[in-house]
Amino acid sequence: MYRIRLHGRGGQGIKTASQILGTAAFYSGYQAQDFPLYGAERRGAPIVAFTRISEKPVLERGPISSPDIILVGDETLLDDPQAAPLCGADESTAVFINSTLETSVLQQQLHLSSSLLKLNLTELCIQHLNKGTVLSTALAAAGARLVGMITLEALLKAVDAELSQQGIGSIQENLNLTKEIFQNLFPVVLKPRKEKTISPSEIILMEQANIEEAAPIILSPGNMILRKTGNWRVQRPEIDYEHCNHCLICYARCPDGAISLGPDDKPEIDYDHCKGCLICAQECPGHFINTVREAGVES
Amino acid sequence: MKTDNKIMLTGNKAAAWGARMAQVEYVPAFPITPQTEIVETLAQWFADGTLQGKFTNMDSEHSMFMAAGAAAATGVRVFTASSSQGILHGMESLYTITGWRVPLVLVNVSRALATPITLEPDHNDVMSTRDCGLIQLHAETCQEIFDFILIGHKIAENPQVCLPVLVNMDGFYLSFTREPVLIPDKKTILKFLPLFEPVYPVFQASQPMARASAVFGGSTYSYFKMQHNLAAHHAEKVFNDATAEFSELFGRTYEPAEKFHMDDADFVFVMSNSFATKGKAAVLKLRQQGIKAGLLKIRLFRPFPVAFIAQALCGHERVAVIDQNLAPGMGGITYPEIVSSLYPYENRPKKIVSVIGGLGGKDITESDFMSIIDHMKNSDSKTPLYLFDQEDQRAFQRIQKIANVKKEVSSS
Repeated sequence: MYRIRLHGRGGQGIKTASQILGTAAFYSGYQAQDFPLYGAERRGAPIVAFTRISEKPVLERGPISSPDIILVGDETLLDDPQAAPLCGADESTAVFINSTLETSVLQQQLHLSSSLLKLNLTELCIQHLNKGTVLSTALAAAGARLVGMITLEALLKAVDAELSQQGIGSIQENLNLTKEIFQNLFPVVLKPRKEKTISPSEIILMEQANIEEAAPIILSPGNMILRKTGNWRVQRPEIDYEHCNHCLICYARCPDGAISLGPDDKPEIDYDHCKGCLICAQECPGHFINTVREAGVES
Repeated sequence: MKTDNKIMLTGNKAAAWGARMAQVEYVPAFPITPQTEIVETLAQWFADGTLQGKFTNMDSEHSMFMAAGAAAATGVRVFTASSSQGILHGMESLYTITGWRVPLVLVNVSRALATPITLEPDHNDVMSTRDCGLIQLHAETCQEIFDFILIGHKIAENPQVCLPVLVNMDGFYLSFTREPVLIPDKKTILKFLPLFEPVYPVFQASQPMARASAVFGGSTYSYFKMQHNLAAHHAEKVFNDATAEFSELFGRTYEPAEKFHMDDADFVFVMSNSFATKGKAAVLKLRQQGIKAGLLKIRLFRPFPVAFIAQALCGHERVAVIDQNLAPGMGGITYPEIVSSLYPYENRPKKIVSVIGGLGGKDITESDFMSIIDHMKNSDSKTPLYLFDQEDQRAFQRIQKIANVKKEVSSS
């Protein structure tokens, strides 16, 4: 069985990529299962999806902790401890990264025992689709090529089927993109993973705790500040202080409380926590909040 | 639409397809994660004319179940879906409409109950409906969801049953998981499940009748409740007849419980729903290690197939009932049902242990299954085994550190 784990951000088409991959494997005559995992979150937040491909029925469900192939769509996640895209990678894993960097540079940064592959999918997406923000087809094509057992014909059929279902118009462009990626990569040979024998869990006998510990009571208020959500942004709001008249509508409207009052009652955006919803820019009566594409999103 | 083919579907889509192929005529809906994809899909199909009938957005689950019951009382085929807090909110209506003795199919997408609130699955939500008088079918795969909706309508509409049927699936592990599902052709489905034409009294214009009578004195109340009980029990025979016919037409056979490597099993796991897949994988691996494990997966939960389960488990040495639910102050909810099913038989298992795990979506790992084997072997294991290990403790402590429990307060 191939266990493939895909990482990216909400809105980049990671779930769709896992589904194209699943459907392509299914069209190639294999058993397939795909599954996305995200909480009550939104565009820009790290998401993970899984595809399992097997000759026999898949007797597994849920997340994959020991992946055979990891597909990283967004390299800004590599040092995000919450996304931890390389978690569970070992010498039997192949890690594919959508990156502008050379493999040798990536290897130096990551110190992986896994085999490392890269291709600049964002660039190819820009060439074919005129945008580099949606990676569904590209990441699925990379994954399909790396596992090796998926035919180009099945993959093209899967891209067509999944994108048509979502009402996406640029099918031909996506098919051309698929072909190019398929030709640019080659199947990986994975070191077989040793089957471990099952040993029991370290079960603990829970003892009764006092109510402060035993119930979901939070005694330390304001800990949302520890959850940095600044890297969810695709676009950032920037206040044009030359024109801002301190009306504070942005301050009142920010749903995350990420705008505070500085000296002279100037609104200040907390970029560690601003998720880039851009409601402030929408609400500013004088249009004095500009939206700027985040660096790293398109490059 | 091309049918009779295998397509990749999530559990939610498989449920929507079940309702579509059953040609349901009325769907009252209210969204809730992780169920929303079902009613969203049906809304689309009613809007574009794929399905003929009426789709209505309701203001809550309470009115949704009432509307479902009332529509079923007019003799149309009704489908609806909910989950977790939604089921609890509609609980009063669930008891009410089962007492009306009306047929419909309701899908529950299992999600653990607040507090603390979560989105991930366990079975306390569906267990809360255990005593409502619904018929219940629990699904392990997306194919079972689709098939159980067809079978569910057939059971519900049987004149000797006339009860709502609940089809259960796990949130996330099934609701959002795609796998191949075979959609049979319309003609064969119509053979199995013809269009609904009730042979018993239904609400009709100019023919006044009532279904929600008030009764006093106890005897009349008892009569109707005991009749409800008889109908629920009779539904086991109707299930067996329906699944026999289903098997003949579609080739998939559904017994009240599935026996997986049971013949020579010394250690049996009793499970239900999607985690049974994990149990099956563990059984195969344990057998490679020389441990004769087996698994009994319960499909028909109400009526509880007492005799079938007793026949399946008697003669095996050790049994572990894995409950993904918790009745605080007692333990697993299905454990006592299994034990009482076995008690009258002399060749009942020597050891029947209770295991509680998978709460709030917590995984049940291979290692957990080995711990369960050890628990079955232990002659001293009189209390339930609660699956919570060092790693869980560490994960909890990381969160606890952020919540910053003040130690000096807790020492008092």
